[in-house]
Amino acid sequence: MSKRILVTRPNYDLATIYLFHWSSPVIKLGRQKAFQVTDLSGSKANEADFTSRVVKTNPSFIFFNGHGSKTAITGQDKEVLVSIRRNLDLLKDRIVFARSCNAAERLGPKSISSGARAFIGYKEPFIFMFDPQMATRPLSDKTAALFLQPSNRVATTLLKGHPSLEANSRAKKAFRKNIRKLLTSETSKEDSSVLRFLFWDMKHQVCLGDPDSTL
Amino acid sequence: MVKKKNAKNKINKFVSRKLKITDAEIRRLVIERLKTLPSGKQISIGDKGSFTKNELINRVELGDDIGKKMIEVELEFLRALKKGKLFDEQENSRN
Repeated sequence: MSKRILVTRPNYDLATIYLFHWSSPVIKLGRQKAFQVTDLSGSKANEADFTSRVVKTNPSFIFFNGHGSKTAITGQDKEVLVSIRRNLDLLKDRIVFARSCNAAERLGPKSISSGARAFIGYKEPFIFMFDPQMATRPLSDKTAALFLQPSNRVATTLLKGHPSLEANSRAKKAFRKNIRKLLTSETSKEDSSVLRFLFWDMKHQVCLGDPDSTL
Repeated sequence: MVKKKNAKNKINKFVSRKLKITDAEIRRLVIERLKTLPSGKQISIGDKGSFTKNELINRVELGDDIGKKMIEVELEFLRALKKGKLFDEQENSRN
């Protein structure tokens, strides 16, 4: 399989803008690790570009960022990129990480039965807290970082050559580390209110398919 | 002896009925807990949007999808906390 990855990262509302920016460190690491990165950002995160670039570049890893549902993952302006009835064959033989709500519930298992090597994603909505005053600089938002850094760990662990199950585990460990940090007595009541959402994301992140698959 | 047993059963039934928490009480509990969220922050819940603390509280009061999801989030967290399972996830678990 090629040393190529494909990232989709729409940016049309606050949630996708945050995911857009927080995908940058993954893209940077991918390039450092000599992966050829296809970056479908903003309006390029559409079905036509997604389809043609997957076929053309044959990436071993697809990293989706954007809104999703139990049956689909979307790109810019909620355009469906892949669903249980559309483009599922494009995931065949690839490792997928979907930072999208609910996609691991039905789309994930369906992608595995259609030949995807592994699918890591969330069975429930991916919830995160952020500071709206930092919305123009999402990477400096320490509250959002509590969620998006652990989530990024899935992709960065894969890029470092570790297997999919290890990527899932390391990300959960990073969530747990943040939970533990916030449980200390020095943490204010307001800061610790983030715990319930961290626990939620950690709990509902799953790894489907071959646990030993690597890039 | 039988009388004593019956009385004990009656007490147990009364206590378990008293301990059963109603939906309204759960909603109240979740609202009280949501009040601890910081006012200046927002919660992003996928394509449903981003919500302030007060907006989430309103949704729980309304009992719509977002409100129900917040109750689910809160109860899962409290159950894990009660059972000491916050850190219980297997390191190599797929789930």
